[in-house]
Amino acid sequence: MADLRRPRPAASRLGRGRALTAPAAAGALVRALTDRFPELAGSLWTDEDTVELQSDGSRNVEVLRTLRDDEALRFWWLGDAAAVDYGPHEHFEVVYHLFSDLHPAWLRLRCRVNRADPHIPTITGLWEGAMFHEREMYDMMGIVFDGNRDLRRIYMSPDYRSFPQRKDFLLPDDAADSSAAGVNPLERPETWDLSRFREELTRSPAPHYPPADEAAE
Amino acid sequence: MELGEVLLAVGRFLLATTLLLLLTVPTAFIVIQMELKVIALMQLRYGPNRVGPRGMFQSTIHGFKVLAKEDITPDQADRPTFTMAPWMVFMAAAMSLLVIPFAPGLVAIDSSISVVYFFAVLGLSVVGLLVAGWSSYNKYSLLGGLRSAAQMVSYEIPLTLSIVGIVVLTGSLSFTEIVEWQRVNGWGFFWQFWAFPIFFIAATAEINRTPFDMVEADSEIVAGFATEYSGMRFGFFFFAEYVALFIMSTVVVTLFFGGWLPPFFELPGGFIGTLLGVIIFFAKTYFFVFVAVWMRATLPRVRVDQLMGMAWKWLLPLALVNLFVTAAIVLIFNLKPVGGA
Amino acid sequence: MTAVDPETRIPDPIELDRLEEERLAAALGVAGPRGADTSEYAGFETVGIPDRPPQTEREAEMYSLEEGEMLLNMGPQHPSTHGVMRLVVKIRSEMVTDLDPVLGYLHRGIEKLCENATYTTVLTYVDPMDYMSAMHNEHAPAIAFEKLYGIKTPKRAEYIRALVMELNRVFSHGLMMGFLALDMGGITPILYGFINRDEVVDLLSSISGQRMLFNFLRVGGVNWDVNDEFINRLSAWRVNVGKSIGDNETLITENEIFVQRTKGLGVLSGERAISLGVSGPNLRASGVPFDVRKAHPYSIYDELEFDVITQPGGDTYARYLQRVAEIKQSLHLIDQIVDQMPHGPVQAQVPGIIRPRPGRAFGAVESPRGFYSVYAISDGGPNPYRFRMRDPSFISLQVMPVLMPGHLIADTMAVMASLDPIMGGVDK
Repeated sequence: MADLRRPRPAASRLGRGRALTAPAAAGALVRALTDRFPELAGSLWTDEDTVELQSDGSRNVEVLRTLRDDEALRFWWLGDAAAVDYGPHEHFEVVYHLFSDLHPAWLRLRCRVNRADPHIPTITGLWEGAMFHEREMYDMMGIVFDGNRDLRRIYMSPDYRSFPQRKDFLLPDDAADSSAAGVNPLERPETWDLSRFREELTRSPAPHYPPADEAAE
Repeated sequence: MELGEVLLAVGRFLLATTLLLLLTVPTAFIVIQMELKVIALMQLRYGPNRVGPRGMFQSTIHGFKVLAKEDITPDQADRPTFTMAPWMVFMAAAMSLLVIPFAPGLVAIDSSISVVYFFAVLGLSVVGLLVAGWSSYNKYSLLGGLRSAAQMVSYEIPLTLSIVGIVVLTGSLSFTEIVEWQRVNGWGFFWQFWAFPIFFIAATAEINRTPFDMVEADSEIVAGFATEYSGMRFGFFFFAEYVALFIMSTVVVTLFFGGWLPPFFELPGGFIGTLLGVIIFFAKTYFFVFVAVWMRATLPRVRVDQLMGMAWKWLLPLALVNLFVTAAIVLIFNLKPVGGA
Repeated sequence: MTAVDPETRIPDPIELDRLEEERLAAALGVAGPRGADTSEYAGFETVGIPDRPPQTEREAEMYSLEEGEMLLNMGPQHPSTHGVMRLVVKIRSEMVTDLDPVLGYLHRGIEKLCENATYTTVLTYVDPMDYMSAMHNEHAPAIAFEKLYGIKTPKRAEYIRALVMELNRVFSHGLMMGFLALDMGGITPILYGFINRDEVVDLLSSISGQRMLFNFLRVGGVNWDVNDEFINRLSAWRVNVGKSIGDNETLITENEIFVQRTKGLGVLSGERAISLGVSGPNLRASGVPFDVRKAHPYSIYDELEFDVITQPGGDTYARYLQRVAEIKQSLHLIDQIVDQMPHGPVQAQVPGIIRPRPGRAFGAVESPRGFYSVYAISDGGPNPYRFRMRDPSFISLQVMPVLMPGHLIADTMAVMASLDPIMGGVDK
């Protein structure tokens, strides 16, 4: 098990955009993208089979719609939608991978999301199938997709309060001897607030086993 | 009627009932064993091969295992009916055995309306299934109970209509007389080859066998009406199902394949004849049990709407056509039933 | 032996439960404990509605009942949910009016585990995800990590990979035929499917050493070269496999009941399937010729000769036929791979602990269930900074609420089996 508390200096740099490094076989795609999204052209980056584009989180629907519907692009296949956490003082990213018959490359769109206020528009209007992706991202990272009409937890139970794939989520064995032990409320069931669901129950006295004299009666 | 005769009749009835109830136990064991082993061979498996020689006592051990298991009643079940339902199902199956003739003279009640009695009593099991489904406080059970009601009510009609042809031909409602008629005139199958498939399909549905096992469709509604049952009560359902399979096979044999009659020769009289008759009867019966097991290994289940559609759109009209054609033939050729009616 | 003193007797759990319920009922002001009201089926149809306010619009819609409707919980323990999944089905008599898959009963947090494992051990962790296609599970991360680390896998290793992938596909699709029949009440095809599967996993265990979770692929190659036992078994299996698949086909494809039940059931149009993210055989059965092996070739699939098979129907029967056709296609591919396999090493030079340069890589393969992809981010450390898997059966499950309304309960099982989800992959 890796030590999560070791410093990860490169992690913060990962989120930054990098320049176009290598000309891929996807020259036509790069030209089309620079043509359609001149303001995002600075973030273009390719490797041997991927073309990468970065945009702000609020623009994701607009960019994805252009990518899907534009005749020269036609990225009809939503391969993947994933969330990435770059650490407590950085930001989230929602990453979409697209595929088009016209171009021999995966298209990766990275959308930046503010970590303090993680909101991003839903893309379920473009691809219905993004629903489970977004529910998973909400469940695991806590990113809220505005407009999604079924944003529930999908893997964890509905009364779970934490977001397990965030980088500041400590695994139980780490949490026990971390500096935050006893302070951090994550992953400790006794700190989960269930009052929202069972108000009446919390008002009644705590469950107890009847003492011997009561049981005898 | 004298007191002695009454006592004799009552004694005969009690003896026959006891013997038949005792007969159901090995019958169910044999049918279950057959199902285990035959399906295993069809699926290229070994099947049970540990308990007894060649795994012969596997089903017996199953029976004792079921006896030994804890019997659980759900918290919110309707206790009296929940407890009673397995008995109703089992007794319906066991009581209908009373009128089946196994060999010349070897019949518990040689009634002149045994056919009517048989279908009336066997039809009672639907009440047990419905009660079991309702009283369990379980949605799967409820669905299973309702399915059983719908299915059995639908299939009773083509089932009974399909044998009216035989009844018209023989002019009798007694199983024994129908067999006697077949001794003279040849097997009922040759006279009623069209009614046989109708009867066989409807009978398969009536006893909830694959491909018509909607009532306990394990991949859809878990175990249907029996979902909440455990221990011996579940055992009774299980027993009743296999006994019903056996009984339906006996009826198929009695009505269409000559009962205890051997194919090419006459039975000798006396004890030897009775013994031979029983052997022939059971051989024929287990052949049809085998066919049912074979079907289970081969066919997927039909859907509930297809099941009902088949009963009302195909089997019922065909049975009616069969009845009219038979009646017309009997009228035109002036066939004389064996009873001389 | 002394009698238990009632003063010190420890109450048994059932009694404790009852006492607790009575106490709660008194606190809530509800009359009597739960068992008291047996005379009527009070609240029978509302069993299954969560005892909390709905969290979303869709949940409110799903868990509100109209007159004559009730909720039926299929699972987590149900004979045909392919693992521990729960389908909450809203039914009106036998008719399904709405459906909600509830997941997470098998969630192990494999993504998080992989983020705390080294690149080499990640390939072990992903094995039990989609346990019917463990080889494919390893393939996508292997591709992504090789891209990340910038190494090229030797040609022979790529051929061996393609070979085991296709073998895996054959038994996975063969089992799907059996599971579909089993969920429709036919009990024999699954046994034939398992006989075929046993032969293939024995074959694969002779090359990898394990029967189910093969752990055969490595970053930059495969664990072992093919050996004599593998070759012998492969040729023996290749001779007989046609017959074993054919037996199954006789039992299913030509069965009138099966055809009647599946034709026209659960029709998914191509556009809808794309929009819902359905992939693999299910998408191709809807007439969309999308196969990662052709669309974005990986491994050596661009050197092999094959066509993308599609079916026009988009119904359950088409999904079944698609699987059968793909088995035959895989056998054809296996023949080609064995014929063309070059000599050479099977593993590139890779250090014990891999530390790729910071970067990202995306690798996708065509698993038996569809588009299976991995997105890995390296920050230069010995373990992936982010490891993301897109499992096809997870996404395919979204189809269920779309297809099922208006069908019967029995069809729910048939449609689900035709989508062939594996819960290990769905719940990650």
